[in-house]
Amino acid sequence: MLKNNHPQVSEYMAQCLPEFMQINHYWDKQRNMVVAKILPGEFYMTTENVAIATTLGSCISACIWDDRSRIGGMNHFMLPVTNKEAHEVNWGKKDKTSDATRYGNFAMEHLINTILRSGGRKLNLRAKLFGGAKVLDQLSDVGQKNINFALAYLDQEEIVIESSDLGDIYPRKVIFEPCSGRVFIKRLDNLHNDTIIRRESDYRNQINQKEISGDIELF
Amino acid sequence: MTKVLVVDDSNSIRDMVSFTLKSAGYETVEAKDGQDGLSKAQASNFDLVISDVNMPNMDGISLCTELRKLPDFKFTPILMLTTESSTDMKMRGKSAGATGWLVKPFNPEKLLATIKRVVK
Repeated sequence: MLKNNHPQVSEYMAQCLPEFMQINHYWDKQRNMVVAKILPGEFYMTTENVAIATTLGSCISACIWDDRSRIGGMNHFMLPVTNKEAHEVNWGKKDKTSDATRYGNFAMEHLINTILRSGGRKLNLRAKLFGGAKVLDQLSDVGQKNINFALAYLDQEEIVIESSDLGDIYPRKVIFEPCSGRVFIKRLDNLHNDTIIRRESDYRNQINQKEISGDIELF
Repeated sequence: MTKVLVVDDSNSIRDMVSFTLKSAGYETVEAKDGQDGLSKAQASNFDLVISDVNMPNMDGISLCTELRKLPDFKFTPILMLTTESSTDMKMRGKSAGATGWLVKPFNPEKLLATIKRVVK
């Protein structure tokens, strides 16, 4: 089913943005188009007729596109659970610059900036939001935290959410076509998807250990 | 009081950066893009400018170039705070007259430490 060496995929890869070269691309025979498949912590943006697919547990994917110029992308992220700095620094108002908020902001902004850099306009941006399921019977509902963050972020950035499928207990498979804004969604059977849960917990461990900040260079 | 001009098209980032600076005792003025930043810079004096790169109307690199043309901003530190991490973009910032380049996500403590290094 997954054919990376399909001629159409090779043809598209020649014009794929360099930062997305390492993403897994395959030819979807039914859709008759190239699909880029993203994993937790990744994002993808395209100006071409390419679809973006991912599978979500408690993570969130925001599909964001410019409905005039028909370019857009999708991210796949969750907020880190720890709040390393909260006990060290008194920020006054809690959470505003916490690791979690900064990480989430970054995941959203990186996608949005890539769209704007490729010719999208902020006023034309639309969003669809998916994921945030309670896939594990945990005490803290990480899915819900991710949902709350994404809703608040899009509200603050004044980006209209056209549709969403959030929460509940089911993992979801999402396929987004940025050039039309269409999303195909399939709720998956919770019991047969420990791959999703395993990938998400690997990703969670990774973001909880990694310091959340970029490089600083003084000229 | 040290006065900082914060230029970013994202409400969330402006909010987070301003909050961080205010908590550390700085005075901040916010601008929503390069054009807005330039007119606010022309109307007042600042000890530091922190600007995003990708913005509508006028991007951060152009803002930097324009600010360097103003006598009052010839030596004012300008820090670019951006999701752009490519060497190419950094070099464009450097030649436009930026003082430093900070890649998001920003760490509040590191941001404050960097500001202390560049603001006299």
